[in-house]
Amino acid sequence: MADKRKRRRPVDDSDSESDSKLPFKSKLKPDSTILQTLKTLKDSATAAASSSATKPLTLSDLNLSTACREVTDLSLSSVQSSIESLILSFAHSILAGNGFSFSVPSRSSANQLYVPELDRIVLKDKTAVRPFANVSTVRKATITTRILQLIHQLCLKSIHVTKRDLFYTDVKLFQDQTQSDAVLDDVSCILGCTRSSLNVVAAEKGVVVGRLIFSDNGDMIDCTKMGMGGKAIPPNIDRVGDMQSDALFILLVEKDAAYMRLAEDRFYNRFPCIIVTAKGQPDVATRLFMRKMKTELKLPVIALVDSDPYGLKILSVYGCGSKNMSYDSANLTTPDIKWLGIRPSDLDKYKIPEQCRLPMTEQDIKTGKDLLEEDFVKKNPGWVEELSLMVKSKQKAEIQALSSFGFQYLTEVYLPLKLQQKDWL
Amino acid sequence: MDTEGSNSPAETKKAKSKTPRKPKSAHVLKQKSPAEFFADNKNIAGFDNPGKSLYTTVRELVENSLDSAESISELPVVEITIEDIGKSKFNSMIGLADHERVDEELYDDFESAKAREKRLAKEARHQEIQAKNASVGKKVKGPMATKPTKSREASYYRVTCKDNGRGMPHDDIPNMFGRVLSGTKYGLKQTRGKFGLGAKMALIWSKMSTGLPIEISSSMKSQNYTSFCRLDIDIHRNIPHIHVHEKRENMDIWHGAEIQIVIEGNWTTYRSKILHYMRQMAVITPYAQFLFKFLSDTPEKNVTVRFARRTDIMPPIPVETKYHPSAVDLLLIKRLIAETSKQNLFQFLQHEFVNVGKSYAERLIGEMGPDFSPKMPVKSLTAQQIVRIHQLFRQAKFDDPSGNCLSPAGEYNLRLGIIKELHPDMVATYSGSAQVFEGHPFIVEAGVSVGGKDVKQGLNIFRFANRIPLLFEQGADVVTRTAIKRINWNNYKINQTQDKIGVFVSIVSTKIPFKGTGKEYIGDDISEIASAVKTAIQQCCAQLKSKIVKRIQAREQQERKRSLNKYIPNATGAIYDMLKDMSQSRASKKKRYEDKDVDLLNQVSAHLVTKQTLKEKLTQHVEQVDYEMALEYATQTGVKEEPREDVYIPPLEAGVNWVGLSRPSTAWCSPTSLRVVLGCIDNGFVWPTGLEAGMCDAKIWQA
Repeated sequence: MADKRKRRRPVDDSDSESDSKLPFKSKLKPDSTILQTLKTLKDSATAAASSSATKPLTLSDLNLSTACREVTDLSLSSVQSSIESLILSFAHSILAGNGFSFSVPSRSSANQLYVPELDRIVLKDKTAVRPFANVSTVRKATITTRILQLIHQLCLKSIHVTKRDLFYTDVKLFQDQTQSDAVLDDVSCILGCTRSSLNVVAAEKGVVVGRLIFSDNGDMIDCTKMGMGGKAIPPNIDRVGDMQSDALFILLVEKDAAYMRLAEDRFYNRFPCIIVTAKGQPDVATRLFMRKMKTELKLPVIALVDSDPYGLKILSVYGCGSKNMSYDSANLTTPDIKWLGIRPSDLDKYKIPEQCRLPMTEQDIKTGKDLLEEDFVKKNPGWVEELSLMVKSKQKAEIQALSSFGFQYLTEVYLPLKLQQKDWL
Repeated sequence: MDTEGSNSPAETKKAKSKTPRKPKSAHVLKQKSPAEFFADNKNIAGFDNPGKSLYTTVRELVENSLDSAESISELPVVEITIEDIGKSKFNSMIGLADHERVDEELYDDFESAKAREKRLAKEARHQEIQAKNASVGKKVKGPMATKPTKSREASYYRVTCKDNGRGMPHDDIPNMFGRVLSGTKYGLKQTRGKFGLGAKMALIWSKMSTGLPIEISSSMKSQNYTSFCRLDIDIHRNIPHIHVHEKRENMDIWHGAEIQIVIEGNWTTYRSKILHYMRQMAVITPYAQFLFKFLSDTPEKNVTVRFARRTDIMPPIPVETKYHPSAVDLLLIKRLIAETSKQNLFQFLQHEFVNVGKSYAERLIGEMGPDFSPKMPVKSLTAQQIVRIHQLFRQAKFDDPSGNCLSPAGEYNLRLGIIKELHPDMVATYSGSAQVFEGHPFIVEAGVSVGGKDVKQGLNIFRFANRIPLLFEQGADVVTRTAIKRINWNNYKINQTQDKIGVFVSIVSTKIPFKGTGKEYIGDDISEIASAVKTAIQQCCAQLKSKIVKRIQAREQQERKRSLNKYIPNATGAIYDMLKDMSQSRASKKKRYEDKDVDLLNQVSAHLVTKQTLKEKLTQHVEQVDYEMALEYATQTGVKEEPREDVYIPPLEAGVNWVGLSRPSTAWCSPTSLRVVLGCIDNGFVWPTGLEAGMCDAKIWQA
């Protein structure tokens, strides 16, 4: 195995040799053919992007029957002034003996709406009052006030902090980070701005490797020269710019392990691509970065996720946004992601051995059935078919299941073959 | 190899010790008497090992006593005594001289030289460690309890059970004890015992372990003598072997039975199980009085527990019922035909089954086919015709049997039991209506309690079937499974892991579908029972929920002001800090504000408006809101509940016959304060429990 790898590295296009150990290997055509397929894919994506880019659809264009709420990027000073006017009105109200009360846009699932035209989730306009003088809301109202104050300070000093920093400024009040995080999203909604405009970022989670060059805070980064680990996706997107790439597509990977395999095998050199992972559910930074890549480079995005409901859920978060952040879905979603694998139908197609498949738990099946009811799945008949198959067979498999044919089966046979067959949905 | 030889050596040895083995040739057709079968498979009846055997013996005797007393509507008084018999005492009882050990090495607990060396080395090491610890000044643990060398010496117990039941007819006694699978409870009726096995199994076990006979004395109500019988069982022939059977003088007009039996057992390991059993039995039969005694040579080990009677309302006696057509099989139909006194088919159908009326019987006969007629003699039915009847019974639709023949414990009794056992903060009970499983009606009653002293956190499950507690195999039981998996406790504001939850479920039926061999648990695979259990528990929870919600509200009411005030400094501090920042930046002319806001900011910089001002104003607002909410709460909940009083009922003179709780209690208390009396009555005291009257159905009082 070791000498084979050595041999393979330098001569990437010598794939025609047949290897009886790797099933379906013989079906692989020379890389040049596959590259040709990919070029057509890229061209069609570019064409589609440029045609839609001339007229980007926004919420206001749609004249929806229900009013929807969306946030925009605001400058620091406008964030500051909206905080100040809110606080001043509170001060007046308190001095008049009326206490104070927030009006917070509801982010509950009942207030979410999937808009098929936009292919993403948006927030409807329901709001909830959060008065101070009520036992059930007093805590949240206080936390909200406190977060507003902290953000006000950020505005005055114009610096960035992480969510963790924010939490630690008043641990006693916030108690745990989920509470301050949730209120932070509420504050974004109240002020009508994106979370990045609050100057609060999350810790780096996503990584990128491959044929991409961009500037991070003025430094030029070449993602082919970032070693095996790749470049961490910067938490504030506004310092990212000057994206350049000769890649043919963006490969979205759910798992860190699969990402490592792809990076180590330098998959992006054999098929020019950009490989991105957020190690599970994507954070805001990764989603912003994905969207930026997609819009600026106009590349097709294909996804490699586990064959379980959770994998599809991750795909949906990239595609249509999460319910938690639906107020900012316009900036966070990357439309038109192709589902390459591992798809439930692949399990039989690639003869994945029985011992590598896992039975779905009751919870899995329930999630799967719930997903079938979701609009973003329903709009794609191929996805519905795959998901129904999954729920019916009650089997799931992780990307690592492919390792049963050898650790490099993923990079050497599975992905090339899938690409060659244009087997994405 | 012959069949005997294929047994494992151990088994052969065991068999040898039980029965004198005669040389047998290979292929002799042998027959086993029922007694032999149960002797070989005693685990079927719960006699797995000496400890379990002791438990099962106690249990069978107690249950027989209760059935017996209830059958004559007598409030049961059961006395059970377990007496530890030392080895030498036992030997003298069976007339065996004590033998000194001559050949020490012959015994299993003989300590060989090597083992001795090992033990001494270990003890030395232990002492060394202790000395070391002591020198370092560490806290020295008490000297390691030297484990008593495991002895395989059997211990023997004399179990005596005395009741005030029906007693037994003089002539029937030998057969009632000396013949396996003979009994008085075979009819279709809700009884604790069922198979005619319990007391006989105890006898078989005594014969197997001690060889001593059973002693029975019994007297019936109208008899002026006491029957005394000493017998054992001829296992091979399944017949009683009578030593003494005589009539004796009945000194103190006593009726009932007293049974004494000497068996091998294990009190040490099954002590808690037996006591639990007695406690739970007292819970589900609060109208019975139990006296449990354990006697041994060492007085400190003795146990005496008296479970006093807490009510004298007995559930009605279960009545014997007829079979439901959907519950019979071919054999049963044949047996019914053989036993019936009815002449023709029409009468047979109408009278031997429930839910078959006149017209329905006619329709059934019509449906059976041309071979059948209403007037045909029922005894002349051919085997084929019986099969046809059976088929029709399977396919035809019948009304469900009613639960009238059942005798559930009753919500009142269940409630008393829960309060007695757990002393909970809240309790709710529910009694379901009769439902049917395979033609047998069943009733599920449940009680759910929250809180209480000495209750462990999480779910505490108590199971009862036909009013006997089930202690073993808890994990697989339908009640346990339902409570753990299918009830969403959060829905009822109950925290499954934090709260102290008591779940009592009692199932009664003419046939309890026990799983496994012993009467240990009811399987989870019967959907009718599972859903009935779930509904019953949910109903209780729903009752509790409203109480819990009310309680939360009341607590909120009390704590509202405090919890609101707690946050005032935080909120005002944040707002004031921002105002200050703003006033500063305004001073540096960085920004423009509206006139109204300018005023405010000026006041802030002039210290006219300070953190304190904001605080005071917000506190004022909170107070106002609190007042309004309190007013609203008061209008919603109406007049405050009247204060509860502890009621004390003077102890009763012994021998006073209580007619029932209903009349005296209603006479004493106004209806609204009835709840106070809902305590447990123990030695004549009423423990007020502070429970709501609403949780308890009025029907209890009419019972």
